[in-house]
Amino acid sequence: MNDKKKIRVACVGNPNCGKTTLFNALTGSRLKVANWPGVTVEKIEGQTSYEGYEIALLDTPGIYSLTCYTIEEKVTRQCVMDDDIDVIINIVDASSLERNLYLTLQLLELGKPVVLALNMMDIVKERGMEIDLHRLPEMLGDIPVVPVSAAKRTGLDILLHAVLHHYEEEKGAEYTLQYPEEIENKIAKLEVMMQAHYPTHSSVRWHAIKLLEDDEEVKSEHPIQVGNIVDKSYEKEIISCKYAYIESVVKEVLFHKSRKAATTDKVDRLLTHEWLGLPIFLCIMGLVFFLTFTIGDALKGVFEMALELFSEKAGAFLLRIGTSDWLISLIVDGIITGVGGILTFLPNICILFFALAILEDSGYMSRVAYVMDSIMGRVGLSGKAFLPMLLGFGCTVPAIMATRALETEQDRKKTMIITPFMSCSARLPIYVIFSEMFFPDCAGLVAFSFYVIGMAVAIITALVLNRIQKGHENNSLLIELPEYKRPNGRTVGIYVWNKLKDYLTKAGTTIFLASIAIWFLLNFGVTGMVEDTADSFGAVIGRLLVPVLAPAGLGMWQIAVALISGISAKEVVVSSFSVLFGVSNTNSAAGMAAIVANVQAVNPAFGPLNAYCLMLFCLLYIPCVAAVATIKKESGSWKFTARLMAFQVLTAWLFATLVFQIGSLFIS
Amino acid sequence: MTLYEAQKNQEYTIAGLFVEEVVTRRLQALGLNDGTKVRVLNKKKRGALIIQVRGTRLALGKHLSSNIEIRKEQG
Repeated sequence: MNDKKKIRVACVGNPNCGKTTLFNALTGSRLKVANWPGVTVEKIEGQTSYEGYEIALLDTPGIYSLTCYTIEEKVTRQCVMDDDIDVIINIVDASSLERNLYLTLQLLELGKPVVLALNMMDIVKERGMEIDLHRLPEMLGDIPVVPVSAAKRTGLDILLHAVLHHYEEEKGAEYTLQYPEEIENKIAKLEVMMQAHYPTHSSVRWHAIKLLEDDEEVKSEHPIQVGNIVDKSYEKEIISCKYAYIESVVKEVLFHKSRKAATTDKVDRLLTHEWLGLPIFLCIMGLVFFLTFTIGDALKGVFEMALELFSEKAGAFLLRIGTSDWLISLIVDGIITGVGGILTFLPNICILFFALAILEDSGYMSRVAYVMDSIMGRVGLSGKAFLPMLLGFGCTVPAIMATRALETEQDRKKTMIITPFMSCSARLPIYVIFSEMFFPDCAGLVAFSFYVIGMAVAIITALVLNRIQKGHENNSLLIELPEYKRPNGRTVGIYVWNKLKDYLTKAGTTIFLASIAIWFLLNFGVTGMVEDTADSFGAVIGRLLVPVLAPAGLGMWQIAVALISGISAKEVVVSSFSVLFGVSNTNSAAGMAAIVANVQAVNPAFGPLNAYCLMLFCLLYIPCVAAVATIKKESGSWKFTARLMAFQVLTAWLFATLVFQIGSLFIS
Repeated sequence: MTLYEAQKNQEYTIAGLFVEEVVTRRLQALGLNDGTKVRVLNKKKRGALIIQVRGTRLALGKHLSSNIEIRKEQG
């Protein structure tokens, strides 16, 4: 029995005003938060309860207006328009009140109960500004206005109380702005017509205003014959009226406006400098990868020792309890080797995501879009398309989802094509292992080269696509640059924890299953369990591909098996190498030496050049099953996805072959 | 003149938006209307620029800035 009353509440507001931070604080969720507009691209529901109410809370992508522009904004509009939303919490960034109130005025016109949550009051205070909290609600028709700090989690109870109170009050429609007489007359006539056509409709006035603005979506959702009432689009007048009113509000409630935020502008003078901006960005990324490899390597020793000990003990234990040989082989050689090998990369992964989290939460992301705009402009994309690419250094899946914030379908597709070339964290173990095995003197540099190559291939691909499609040149950047801030500990913590959890889950599921599958493929053949892996099913399949891979210097059936299994997840390339060459502790000096010895026992010619080509191939071919599924979901087309996969394999093969053939000339 | 020709650290008034309709709507929602004051914070020689408008900072690409008409503020 559940006698609690239920209500549905939506968090709505401008991009980057703190909706998700507030949502996390209210529901105890751990959604990703960062300091750039467009982090949230999906509608997410959470639960909380307060004063006998069961509250279903919705987090929505940020919007500047109810007239939409990109896919993720349409999600929000749809959500707000839904009749089952009982109360709207309009989160407002108090430090840019003037722009945020524009959406507020539109939400009020909808006629649903609106509660204003004034976030970021601390920044207001820091800048020496003051907001008159008595006058502000008065000028907005007495809706509740609650100052909160989503980051510090203050004012939350008052906010929930206000939401419930405002809901229970059941007063009439919210306050709305009065337009000049000419427009008001037209609105009144349209309202009557709307009422006649759609008697149950809940936001008649809003729809009437949108009809006057000539809004496409409203016209198609609720078509009525507007005749000569809408003789032109009144959009410009309506927007101007709203902003004129907001100016009068701001004049009344905001004090000491002139003292501006100097720090952000000072930092920006350097970071977005005409000449220095790009080199600074490249240095920052270089530093990120440098730290990932060096600190990560320093920490991994601990993991290796633990793994070695565990592997030994597990083997001995299984033997003692009388486990059959094949099962010991499966557990020790298959699972512990495959999964455990991957776990030793946790420190590297952790540091990479820690660095990315700090970049994202500091406010630098938007600046990267600005800095990269001229380069991206040459390949027919806006600087904003670089943001998904940058996220691609972490993981391709969220990076592909982030393309939703791009304005046109063509830009989205193009960005989806090039983003997988950005080297994700799953490819990192491959570089760590093979660079250290074959390039012991310059491992870091070799590993770093793949990040640069990945970016270069992405940009060249975009350039070629732009030539083929005769791309329109009017792709233009439009992005808000938030204040810089000190990265928040909790935010960074959530970010890194989520990524580590994903990584561990992947190790426990995909990589676990892949390791078992590889073990079976290598230990069973047509005759049953085989002694020599060369008679196994894996070898049979692998040999089929040897002629194709030979020109790229990868003509070994073991490599073919590793590459195929690597499609499940890129780390599996490493774990299959461990299983294939029977080395349990791949990421240690001894393990690496053993692999090199075993590889060269099979193919004495396999040297640094071959290893480089292998890493290059791994960088460019199909990222992983999860990324492919995301591309399918986001593009909505199997044809597009299949062609993209074919293109990736072809690109990988071409580049690896090119490097191997040219490289061989120099070596011989 | 257009915003593209604007000088760094100067204040201007928007005199007209001449971009695609969807983009115009977007810019208006962001508070760029006829008569709005903007300040150029930073710009690149042949590319994007950063403006301050209604207390927020926006980065605008070349295509947008070269299609926004502005007037120089007097004084």
